[in-house]
Amino acid sequence: MGPLIPQGLINADLSLFFAFVIGLGFGYVLEQGGFSNSQKLAGVFYGYDFVVLRVFFTAAITAALGLILLQYMGWIEHGLIYINPSFLWSIIVGGAIMGVGFILGGFCPGTSFVAAIIGKIDAMFFVIGLLVGVFIFGSFYETFQPLYTGSFLGNILVYDSLGMSREVFVLVLVIIALTAFIITRKIEDSINGIAHDPHFLFHPSYRTPFLLMLGTAMLIVFLPAAPRAKWYQKDSQTLLNTVAAGKHYTDADELAFKLLNPKSNDLLLVDVMKEPDRSGFRFPEAIRIPFSDLLNPSYKKLLKESDKKIILYSYSSSLSDQAWLLLSREGVQNLFVLKGGLNGFFETYFTDKPHATPKDEMQQFRDRFIEEAHTAFKTGQAAEKAIIKKSPVTTIVEIEAPPAGQGGC
Amino acid sequence: MLKTFSMERPKSYMNPYLAGFLLGLVLLAAFFVTGRGLGASGAVKSVVIQTVGSVSPAYAADNPFYESYFAEGTSRPMRNWLVFLAIGVLVGALYSGFMSGRAGFAIDKGPRITKTTRLIFAFAGGILFGLGSQFGRGCTSGAALSGMAVLSTAGFLTMIAIFGTGFIVAYFFRKLWIR
Repeated sequence: MGPLIPQGLINADLSLFFAFVIGLGFGYVLEQGGFSNSQKLAGVFYGYDFVVLRVFFTAAITAALGLILLQYMGWIEHGLIYINPSFLWSIIVGGAIMGVGFILGGFCPGTSFVAAIIGKIDAMFFVIGLLVGVFIFGSFYETFQPLYTGSFLGNILVYDSLGMSREVFVLVLVIIALTAFIITRKIEDSINGIAHDPHFLFHPSYRTPFLLMLGTAMLIVFLPAAPRAKWYQKDSQTLLNTVAAGKHYTDADELAFKLLNPKSNDLLLVDVMKEPDRSGFRFPEAIRIPFSDLLNPSYKKLLKESDKKIILYSYSSSLSDQAWLLLSREGVQNLFVLKGGLNGFFETYFTDKPHATPKDEMQQFRDRFIEEAHTAFKTGQAAEKAIIKKSPVTTIVEIEAPPAGQGGC
Repeated sequence: MLKTFSMERPKSYMNPYLAGFLLGLVLLAAFFVTGRGLGASGAVKSVVIQTVGSVSPAYAADNPFYESYFAEGTSRPMRNWLVFLAIGVLVGALYSGFMSGRAGFAIDKGPRITKTTRLIFAFAGGILFGLGSQFGRGCTSGAALSGMAVLSTAGFLTMIAIFGTGFIVAYFFRKLWIR
């Protein structure tokens, strides 16, 4: 499901609207949390106000735990989450410069926007400074470049760097944060001259976050290793029942009828044959997805978004049966396999057969239809009848991730 | 000291843990939509690139920091996720500030310095933060907070570098903030 933009699930213009909405929440929470006041922000460095540490740690842990849970549920694709690259010395130098900037200016960029817009003049000066700072970097870019692009360690993860498992690291992180909440509360009280508080360790202000964070971290540690099927995936039992009952097959007759009557054609025909085995034959408007490319995100997206009845075919039905299982597992709906495959189709409609003994009315009707279809296909009427136009989806364009957030932060 | 636009007394701030939790949810929403976290300095960079590109296209075309943004002649630095995010931040904060009676012209400063001193240091701090955020490939929100949320080594290093340095130099600049 997520993330939406890298998978091309929302278009570029809509994504800017999402950016605005998420920004609304970001700005609102920062202002409500007290981040529009530089003196409050600087308090973290002098011990009289630890609001920065509390909000910052709680937010990072909430998001980290949330991401792990979303991945576990299969609601977010882990491989598409951006992992900040580690350019070791650039980070250390940059962080150190920012640290001094924080003490001098009393803001960081996000908080300065929030403060400037509600009228804090010091924040407006800080924002102008930011522009100058970025301009200086741009002006001396060539001088800075060796440092900026040097000592690249890759897009590495902190628990790998520390040689821990992700679950243990998260639990340790939560325990460190909770300990910091307790200690900073003590420091704050003593610096602000507040008398000894009777709660000692477990002050009511952080009782709830304590329970929630520790509870979630423990849950993550003890989660069974095998994740559940993704939300959109069908479970194996349902698939087994469908296949065992042969309910995933569609009759060649329907296909023939619809090919001859393009106006009522609501089918999306998909040739899943492997590249070298492919026949030159192709149904009108059929698309080709080689078996090995079935799980390609672009194709998956195309099939998932189709509102047509999707019919998979190959020579026999064995390859398309396999494709059906794979795609159904991936959540493609309204999916069928051409019964008997292409061979069966040719057998029925292209081979002359002796007339059998008269059957019931339905059977006779069918025979008549087959005969007509047979003639139509043979004489090439089908090609005339079916308006053959170039299918717009024959060649699939790779979905590009948007250039969101170039240059970080 | 605070000339608010509303006559009400400013409301108190939100419980920091609740604010943190909500901020975490906003961050999570950003990951769900974009696969990346939040950011603030990216918008500053876009403004600088756009400004330099408009004022002196020749300079921008000659400088590797800017040229990639204007190479095809079609890219628009301001039509960018982070710029729209920043616009949202401004509107959201303005709403919050007015609703809580905190909007109004003011200068927050330590008790021992003048307003002019405060403004000079705010400007200087901004310059350093702007410069540092380029080396860090993001600031407190984009590199440290979002980087920590995805458990990247870079995120934790940035956080430690920013706050570690802050604590080290805090003593020398204590006059700015405390008695």
